[in-house]
Amino acid sequence: MNKKRSLMFTLVRGTAAILIALLVATVLIFISAEGATFGAKIAQTGSALRQLLIGPAFRNNGTVSVKNLTDVLAAMIPIIFTGLATCVMFSANQFNLGAEGGIMLGAFVSALVAVYFPLPGALLPIAAVLLGGISVGIMMLIPAVLKAKLGVSEMVNSLMLNYAVMYFIKYLLNTHLADKTKGQIMTYEFQPNAAIPQLVDNGSKLSWGFVVALVAVVLCSLFMYRTRWGYATRMIGINQQFSKYSGMNVAGIIILSQVLGGLLAGFGGGIEMLGRYTSFNWSALPGYGWTGITVAILAGNNPIYVPLAAFFISYLNKGCSLMSTYSGVPSQLIDILQAVIFLFFAAKQFLARYRQRLVVKSTEEELKLAAAAAAAEEGGAK
Amino acid sequence: MPEEYVIEMKGITKVYPNGTAANQDVDFSVRKGEIHALMGENGAGKSTLMKMLFGLEQPTSGEIRVNGEKVNLTSPTVAISKGIGMVHQHFMLVPSLTVAENMVLGMVPKKSGLFIDAKKAVEITKEYSEKFNLHVDPDAKVMDIPVGMKQKVEILKALVRGARILILDEPTAVLTAQETEELFKELINLKKQGYTIIFISHKLNEIMQITDRMTILRRGRSMGVHNTADVTPEKISRLMVGRDVILSVQKETACPKEEVLRVRDLEYVNEWGKKMLDKVSFSVRSGEILGIAGVEGNGQKELVDMLFHLDIPNAGTATVNGENILGVSQRAIRAKGVSLVPEDRMLYGIAADATIEENMISDRCDAKRLNKGLLFDMKAIHKEVDQLIADYTVLCKSSRQKVGSLSGGNIQKVVVAREFSNSPCLIIADQPTRGIDVGATEFVRKKLVELSRSGVAVLLVSADLNEVMELSDSLIVMYGGRVAAYFEDTKGLSDSLMGEYMLGLKQQTPEEVRRVCHE
Repeated sequence: MNKKRSLMFTLVRGTAAILIALLVATVLIFISAEGATFGAKIAQTGSALRQLLIGPAFRNNGTVSVKNLTDVLAAMIPIIFTGLATCVMFSANQFNLGAEGGIMLGAFVSALVAVYFPLPGALLPIAAVLLGGISVGIMMLIPAVLKAKLGVSEMVNSLMLNYAVMYFIKYLLNTHLADKTKGQIMTYEFQPNAAIPQLVDNGSKLSWGFVVALVAVVLCSLFMYRTRWGYATRMIGINQQFSKYSGMNVAGIIILSQVLGGLLAGFGGGIEMLGRYTSFNWSALPGYGWTGITVAILAGNNPIYVPLAAFFISYLNKGCSLMSTYSGVPSQLIDILQAVIFLFFAAKQFLARYRQRLVVKSTEEELKLAAAAAAAEEGGAK
Repeated sequence: MPEEYVIEMKGITKVYPNGTAANQDVDFSVRKGEIHALMGENGAGKSTLMKMLFGLEQPTSGEIRVNGEKVNLTSPTVAISKGIGMVHQHFMLVPSLTVAENMVLGMVPKKSGLFIDAKKAVEITKEYSEKFNLHVDPDAKVMDIPVGMKQKVEILKALVRGARILILDEPTAVLTAQETEELFKELINLKKQGYTIIFISHKLNEIMQITDRMTILRRGRSMGVHNTADVTPEKISRLMVGRDVILSVQKETACPKEEVLRVRDLEYVNEWGKKMLDKVSFSVRSGEILGIAGVEGNGQKELVDMLFHLDIPNAGTATVNGENILGVSQRAIRAKGVSLVPEDRMLYGIAADATIEENMISDRCDAKRLNKGLLFDMKAIHKEVDQLIADYTVLCKSSRQKVGSLSGGNIQKVVVAREFSNSPCLIIADQPTRGIDVGATEFVRKKLVELSRSGVAVLLVSADLNEVMELSDSLIVMYGGRVAAYFEDTKGLSDSLMGEYMLGLKQQTPEEVRRVCHE
């Protein structure tokens, strides 16, 4: 199939998945909508859908809502990082789910640096984020080395590790590191120079971290498609036996990919913490790691598509929260919506017949061209 | 009534989801009670056509008639109910079950409606075995019986299920000369009893010997139906590849120089405790091709696995230019100049979902010439790969095409291009032309000879007796994990003598065998 047709198929398929998800959403919103009469319910459904789909971009009067849009962009920062982390790990066929615990540990370590390390000026946030990333890179050595050396499932290990990390952080926070003067369990306030400067000062918390995230996307793409290590990572993901036979250092790359994933998740945690908060008070896993998995799968493990997928998810999230605020439809609906879209994206057979028709068409055209070329050659020979 | 056709396939076109047009407007008809050959190079569409006849794939367009009745073969179950049976190239048997149990799989005779009637299963097996003169041991476990018998079990399985039309997919690929003869007798016997046989093969002499008619496919199109008696092997070969193929290899006499590969007293006991290699010793010298002949399962696979660290031997040594290669990483082995054309090319040879380019640089992605600092030098990579594609005549649209969408012969060319081009000093070629088309086979063989004459040491492992005898300068025969014979010169060796060594009927003295060590 030629490139144009294949792109068209991807677009049609994506649109169809989203439309079907919206259809399901409409039905659910209608069921849960408040209203005495049928007409009232319809009106409610309409306003809810409007909030969901258009709300994140436009106000009710039709003008562009900058605040909502910056909210969406700000929410993209952590999930771009977890999405990239998951991309790198999944590309090597390593189903490491540790980005969730990773982002929490990264945030925590960065917070500690921001509280306790007396570093001057911009050095403090940079050191904090770097140390946050490195600590998660080291954490990922546990599932990575166990997998590479002993063949222990990285999926089970990293999943359990998330909770071990969370409870360890909660233990430290509850006992030794808490600011006892506060009513809530939290660390002491960060030093003022730890904060990552904001891009837009409207309370959206859209910090320079967003730019760093986009730079990370570019670096990640370069790594995956333009370096020998990224190449080896992808080859191992496609066929590990082949990579081993070709003389690649399979165990080394398996470890590298997960440590790199850890680094990215840790950076994301640090940037999110210093860009949005003034002290660490997370008491549970933040969920960015799970969203990162969705992002990576939507992006087809290709880093360059991660920002698109992250924007899509953030936009829907914002839409849902607006919807629940203004029209009383429960915000849990977002999970159903995401699940439906996800299902159709991930389902290989979805629209397979349509794809087959396109393939047949392309192939027939190619054959015709080939036949014409052969005929022309023969004619020329005569 | 005109001729009686049991199978009529008309205007069959099949386009796979990856865009490959495997069959285009193919007509294929088989008369009742004939042995009909289906011939063609790899990638010509034989397997696809037969898969559609057995219900494993559905045609994109065209119609299939069985006994004059239009059918819609949506699954093998439907095909079997129409009396079509298929014997696959790779046997579909359960190794841990007995022959009789395999025979009744999916149609188990029951005792009082609940328990498996093992006796009945054995009876059925014996009954069919005698009726068709296909002798098998009903109580033996499938994993313990020889390949030839496994094939008989497969044929019987199809017959028990009521097949009147048998599709045999390259049935002789795994058999010895003696077993092939036996199979042919059995097939002729089946034909006499009114069964129809479709015989897929590359081997011209077999086709000439046993079939009545043949259909030849080339690049997914039918090249017509011919009576076997009316065509010559040369004509078939021309129809198959569209040009005359030189089936014998031209080569100058070898003048071997220094020893490259030195294997001494290699021993290996597999996980089931069977001794697969027993004190194997030999040497391969620069500039020569040493062939290893033998029926499959006599230690050749294990030997290659040891030499490329895909498994670890229990005892013995192996060195390349004096340096140990046992138990070191593939990276280190390759650094010593060893290349391997692996037997299982889909598992080891390629990453099917990666592009041709990505597959061709897998062994050299660290090379300085392909990297600029931390990044790949994409220009250098494109240049090197495009050159390889041209040199090895890989048929493709572009180097960014996925390898998995190429035909078997072209996939092998990708593997060979990579393995032959990184200036090796030793090439281990394990079944380098298995299952690939005549054109690609000729190409690979020529390249092997060319490289050996330029000073590379070549170790050739092949189950294709013609290939080892034609290509090798000298050869050893493996039987039961030992080197059973060594022939310094392959000229003048007869198939039947080789057969006797391969089947263990003959054995050279240890002194004679020891000559291959060149000490």
